[in-house]
Amino acid sequence: MASVRAASRLLSKRVLSKTTPVPAAAVQGSRNFHFSIYGKKKSASVSDNISTQYPVVDHEFDAVVVGAGGAGLRAAFGLSEAGFNTACITKLFPTRSHTVAAQGGINAALGNMEGDDWRWHFYDTVKGSDWLGDQDAIHYMTEQAPAAVVELENFGMPFSRTEDGKIYQRAFGGQSLKYGKGGQAHRCCCVADRTGHSLLHTLYGRSLRYDTSYFVEYFALDLLMEDGECKGVIALCMEDGSIHRFRAKNTVIATGGYGRTYFSCTSAHTSTGDGNAMVTRAGLPCQDLEFVQFHPTGIYGAGCLITEGCRGEGGILINSEGERFMERYAPNAKDLASRDVVSRSMTIEIREGRGVGPEKDHVYLQLHHLPPQQLAARLPGISETAMIFAGVDVTKEPIPVLPTVHYNMGGVPTNYKGQVITHTKGEDKVVPGLYACGEAACASVHGANRLGANSLLDLVVFGRACALTIAEENKPGETLSPLKPSAGEESVANLDKLRFANGSMRTSEIRLNMQKTMQAHAAVFRTGSVLKEGCDKMDAIYQTMEELKTFDRGIVWNTDLVETLELQNLMLNAVQTIHSAEQRKESRGAHAREDFKDRVDEYDYSKPLQGQEAKPYDEHWRKHTMSYVDPKTGKVTLEYRPVIDHSLDEQDCAHVPPAIRSY
Amino acid sequence: MLSAAIAKRLVTGLCQGAWRPAVTGGLVSSRSYRGEAPEDTRGDLIEIPLPPWEEKPGEPTDIKRRRLLYESRKRGMLENCILLSLFAKRYLNTMSESQLLQYDRLINEPSNDWDIYYWATEAQPTPEVYQGEVMDMLKEFTKNRDQEQRLDAPNLEYLDKESQ
Repeated sequence: MASVRAASRLLSKRVLSKTTPVPAAAVQGSRNFHFSIYGKKKSASVSDNISTQYPVVDHEFDAVVVGAGGAGLRAAFGLSEAGFNTACITKLFPTRSHTVAAQGGINAALGNMEGDDWRWHFYDTVKGSDWLGDQDAIHYMTEQAPAAVVELENFGMPFSRTEDGKIYQRAFGGQSLKYGKGGQAHRCCCVADRTGHSLLHTLYGRSLRYDTSYFVEYFALDLLMEDGECKGVIALCMEDGSIHRFRAKNTVIATGGYGRTYFSCTSAHTSTGDGNAMVTRAGLPCQDLEFVQFHPTGIYGAGCLITEGCRGEGGILINSEGERFMERYAPNAKDLASRDVVSRSMTIEIREGRGVGPEKDHVYLQLHHLPPQQLAARLPGISETAMIFAGVDVTKEPIPVLPTVHYNMGGVPTNYKGQVITHTKGEDKVVPGLYACGEAACASVHGANRLGANSLLDLVVFGRACALTIAEENKPGETLSPLKPSAGEESVANLDKLRFANGSMRTSEIRLNMQKTMQAHAAVFRTGSVLKEGCDKMDAIYQTMEELKTFDRGIVWNTDLVETLELQNLMLNAVQTIHSAEQRKESRGAHAREDFKDRVDEYDYSKPLQGQEAKPYDEHWRKHTMSYVDPKTGKVTLEYRPVIDHSLDEQDCAHVPPAIRSY
Repeated sequence: MLSAAIAKRLVTGLCQGAWRPAVTGGLVSSRSYRGEAPEDTRGDLIEIPLPPWEEKPGEPTDIKRRRLLYESRKRGMLENCILLSLFAKRYLNTMSESQLLQYDRLINEPSNDWDIYYWATEAQPTPEVYQGEVMDMLKEFTKNRDQEQRLDAPNLEYLDKESQ
């Protein structure tokens, strides 16, 4: 059959001998590097068990990582280093993952700029999460942070240094000393201004030495689940349209966030929530999807991010009256208050009529009061972005900005070890064979709101945690449990259906409808009636997926098909986000409701606890949302799971009891 | 001791690394926020080289265009997604073979997506290996002399032959 011949041609092309030397021109110094990007230790085999129209190749690995951003690469590297035969499937070349956009840095209590203690970082993160974060996971992350940064340094990441040669650390929003009482902390470590890129470059480069098998420009379609256990992943190879089933005892999801459900977001067009959707289609829950972080300063319209560093250098936010309004909302931190506080303040100003522009629908970020030399030396790239996308000269005019979707706190629920969990009969239960890390996961370290520079830390610590947990509980080369020969056939059928879809609505139309609805109904400020209307609209838009029309019938590099698959994934994320937001009748962290302005905890923490009676679990909102979707009907089901309030070691680091969150 | 080793590597890198962007004296990273952080030593780029980009021999031109379309639309950050997908919409289907090769190298070889953005906006000089017709087209395109609104990447409908 032509398809089998094509597949075997494809196989022989791919398997590179491990001892093939690299051409001399590329050799740096006198070292020889062996690159076997598609090298496999065991041979892959072609099968026609699930489709005779698509060549299907079956692979066996010890572990499969989906996604090659910061978290995915750290997991893949850790697993390969531990001797596991690891595959990393990615729809983008690894250094082009969205991690490369990361501007801030990595928080770690190294204490290089002033005395520091990871327990203060722990406190800041718990407070930042508005007490929705699981304190055991936060304990794990903040305690491991200094070791994680030193480890990265040893891998070769060239952190910026102070004059004494120690790692330079800068200030970032929400970081304080002495449990909030000691002023601004400086604990963000960076590699000049390309921390994200350096992380990717370093991890990718190192992982190749351990012979990780990368499957680049493969689009992961679904998880292969059997009897509630994850046995691998099925993916589409974009280069030749073949289907690949990766069987492995351990699957790690590190697919990033889903900013593209909204019309205005700072994310690349690749942030489509593929991992969350795969987990949803497998019948597993996603956690806390309603918590979407809005970065205060995205360029009005395009959404491109203007870094928090601007405000760190003295940039200020002003309204139509020219007032520095943050002084009113956060008297101490002012423009450097936590992101959700700043976003909410900006939105209130706009809603109260003090917005700028012809439609009074945004505010200004002013930089022209700063000395031009400072602007040139410390914020040079801002001028380009402001000019190209907003047409503004920052030395003369302020930049129009608006809170823009930036990060998804929610995702696939895991415990502090990175294992995916479900919550049944009042207990957390591990899903065998499945792990998640990075933005795709919800450990939950960020709770209801993420602090800047904690995300890169999250990637590295939990990417490593997944690798460590897998290494603890498994050995390389273990035999795989049997898998039904027909596993994955629904994914192929879905692919085929989309490829030949001939309804009445184009992918771009449905996508725009979804994005505009989410932007109008589930953005920074939310209120009951608007959310309800949004839920109904989203449900209707979900149904229109039946009317999809694609135009590209090819199978090789079919971008239309890939964007349609991504739309399916985005839809699942969007409906869960808006339904969870509509149900949650309180304001917490990034989820701010006009009709329920306060946090609804088990006690009222603004008053002394003595004499108060704890509200029953059903009546308060300090709990995680667990959402499920029936992919056929689009119906969302919501359940809840309690927050973990104890740290990993109460003696070493006492948990932080809830309190009112003010800066 | 460390800096001597790095300096030596820098020199060998300069001489040998034809595929690596040229290091200009006093390299200023024109990124969004530098704060007080000292210069970027680029230690990771020097010590950990990635597999060099290779041209795909025997790839039919129409397949190459389809691949480059996907690779233009899916980038590491929003700025490049918008810029390169608009650029691809305008130019990709009419590029000649040699232009396609230049473009392929430009968008696939650099490891840091931000570099492509800085070269296109002329915030940093374009390394010699990437200079050429396509880079000039990209720089001119980025200037946006017609001042069209560039608020988002275009959808794919322009490729649908039926609707034309």
